[in-house]
Amino acid sequence: MSEPLISIQDLHVENRVCEKSLLRKVNVEVKKGEIVGLIGESGSGKSLTARAIMGLLPLEMNVSGRILYKNDDLMKITSKEHRKLLGKEIGIIFQDYRGSFTPFIKIGKQMIETICTHQLVRKKEAKNIAFRVLCEMGLNSERVYHSYPFQLSGGQVQRAAIAMVLALRPALIICDEITTALDLMNGEKVLSYIDQVRKETGCAVLMITHDLAQAYKRTDRMYVMHQGEIVEEGLPEQIRCHHKHPYTKKLCSCLLSLPEDESVRKERVISL
Amino acid sequence: MSLVVDGLSKHYSKSVHALDNISFRVNAGECIGIVGESGSGKSTLARVLLGLESYKDGRITINGKPIAPKKRALLREYRKSVQMIFQDATSTLNPKLPIWKSILEPLDNFKEITPSFLQAEGLSRKEVAEELLEIVGLEKQMVDRYPGELSGGQKQRVSIARALSIEPTLLVCDEPTASLDVTVQVQILRLLKDLQKKTNMTILFISHDIRAVTFLCEKVIVLKNGSIVDQFGLEGIYHKERHPYTKALIKAASIE
Amino acid sequence: METTLIIKTSRLLRNPNMSIGMLLAMLLAGVTFLGGALVPHDPFQIDMSNRLQGASSAHWLGTDQLGRDVFSRMVFGAKLTIGLGMFAIVMAICIGVPIGLFSGYIGGRIDAFFMRIIDGILAFPDFILAIAIAGMLGPSLTNMIIAIVLVRWIVYARVVRGLVLAEKEKEYVLVSKVSYSSTFKTIRMHLLPQVMPDIIVMAAIDVGKVILLISALSYIGLGAQPPIPEWGAMLNDGRGYFQVIPSLMIYPGLAIMLTVLCCNLLGDGLKSYFDIRKGRDYL
Repeated sequence: MSEPLISIQDLHVENRVCEKSLLRKVNVEVKKGEIVGLIGESGSGKSLTARAIMGLLPLEMNVSGRILYKNDDLMKITSKEHRKLLGKEIGIIFQDYRGSFTPFIKIGKQMIETICTHQLVRKKEAKNIAFRVLCEMGLNSERVYHSYPFQLSGGQVQRAAIAMVLALRPALIICDEITTALDLMNGEKVLSYIDQVRKETGCAVLMITHDLAQAYKRTDRMYVMHQGEIVEEGLPEQIRCHHKHPYTKKLCSCLLSLPEDESVRKERVISL
Repeated sequence: MSLVVDGLSKHYSKSVHALDNISFRVNAGECIGIVGESGSGKSTLARVLLGLESYKDGRITINGKPIAPKKRALLREYRKSVQMIFQDATSTLNPKLPIWKSILEPLDNFKEITPSFLQAEGLSRKEVAEELLEIVGLEKQMVDRYPGELSGGQKQRVSIARALSIEPTLLVCDEPTASLDVTVQVQILRLLKDLQKKTNMTILFISHDIRAVTFLCEKVIVLKNGSIVDQFGLEGIYHKERHPYTKALIKAASIE
Repeated sequence: METTLIIKTSRLLRNPNMSIGMLLAMLLAGVTFLGGALVPHDPFQIDMSNRLQGASSAHWLGTDQLGRDVFSRMVFGAKLTIGLGMFAIVMAICIGVPIGLFSGYIGGRIDAFFMRIIDGILAFPDFILAIAIAGMLGPSLTNMIIAIVLVRWIVYARVVRGLVLAEKEKEYVLVSKVSYSSTFKTIRMHLLPQVMPDIIVMAAIDVGKVILLISALSYIGLGAQPPIPEWGAMLNDGRGYFQVIPSLMIYPGLAIMLTVLCCNLLGDGLKSYFDIRKGRDYL
């Protein structure tokens, strides 16, 4: 087994003001090249976990536990070192794609700026990188590069945001509900591009979502989170068919699915 | 009650067709789903049906009568029989009003309606709102709350209660589950299904998620770039002759 | 019910602007309403033997050029100035807010009609226009108030219209339409409560502005006529004696300044109070 890329150990987060513990004993591990799903309803603390990794927790939160990234404890390093790590090593994509880009500046310019702050490259090289990643995301790079965010559709902007993250070749990508604001088709497109990039670059992905069906389909391993605790972890099939925790059961029973395909079922019966 | 849409078109400009020659028919008590990705014109269709937007060509009739007529008395009849649920329940509830006031708004405008769900007569307005809340599976005590104190699913239930209060014959749902958690989505869909069985109203359910549509509806219409590309009943969903776009939608939604 | 009121008031008073403003307002209100009992002299009583006196135990702030007690006149003037200012604001709101609501919500020709009128009025600075109208109607208190209302209502109409334009795109306004609520009901139920906080804040700040306007118009002789003790008119009266006895101008000026300050503080306090509430609503 390969070493974990990032491992969160016994993470506790507590709101100091109203003395409410928001995360309890969270243990999550992501290995190199893995897609790991973190499933939970809104308010279950999954976004908070992502924020803890990024060091973006609000000041009134008390944090304890360890977050090891390549054997460095992210809780101990200074905020300056933390910022260096963000983007370059750990990339994050948010749910709200409208917030990823400033609306007044063309996407290309914003991408170059980001690339130049994190990597020692010249503008021309940065432009080449930007074009390449946009192309990798299946976008018309020429057009997107010269557009303002509002001129593109939601799926395109989200893909451009992912392209920007990928341009820095991070070792870990955190996707925080990236498909929620998109429709099913566009969401699928975005996810398959991420999958493709992962296969090419070998980066790891932590996928945070409330959509169990999506997680079944895309992840190698998954964690189920409920009210600030990890209640179950395992392979997708395990969670789907042999879940133990009542909450997981509830989640699985609420799964929307297409009606059974009669012909497929018959075939299965025959092949058995 | 039957809704007939015949050759409906709407253009924003010469090149942009929001809706292009759309025809379909919904019979009484049916539950029809309209699927399409964002930008396919499904929300425009909903707004046209509610008379919130004008349309250029085509005819839309409900029970043979044109929709959203100019005459006030006819418009009143129309508004009495058609209600809508929007995607974002948060913005459909006035944050400054307690929810019982929001719920009773349509009922206040049609004083002649005595809803059949009422157990007793002579209830105060607040008690009517309480009964409505119970029908959509919320607690009676919530009537005095403000929208800011409710969760997304609860708000959507409140807006369903409001739409149902005047017992419409046609309910248009524009992505009512899109901004909710998966578990809550299913609860809302189940609620709609139950209510549809109980009241036998006609539902036009609009969504980007083909799973939600097949959960609730017997018939599905697929919309792409403003025109209908496919129509089928649930039993024929995996039929070979489905439009490629339908197949893509199904593939995107399936787990395997 | 009472406890929520207490909580609300305590939250309101936590803001330093608000508490200082409230203190000032209470002081002013006290002087205005209890003033009649406090004042030792008749504000109109002329006493030529005692003219232009400095402060003394008989005349707390001295006497003016006709021997009238300055303090009594100030207290009497407070009632007039502040009362007129508030009255003018209420009138301006009564005209401006409905016009703003309807023209913003209905749109179309009605909107265009009112907006052109407003643009026309806005082309002139409000003080100049008020002078012109008051001058045309002839100098008197009533005409001055008419002039001020005619100048101020446009501010409310414009602001309210802008708020309504943003608000009417919200879905609950659409729902209201779908529910067959009349235009009037939709406006009363959904739009008016939304614009109310902004109107209150604006009005609080505007009272100060209008008091300045009243004083300025009185100062140039278009408002209160002698011997009515309005603060601006008192400033005007004291002008000729400024070098001999500057307090004749200093006291009314100070009173105007304090009142305007009080209004601005209250307005700021209310604004931050409503801003917090707004944030809470959308959480």
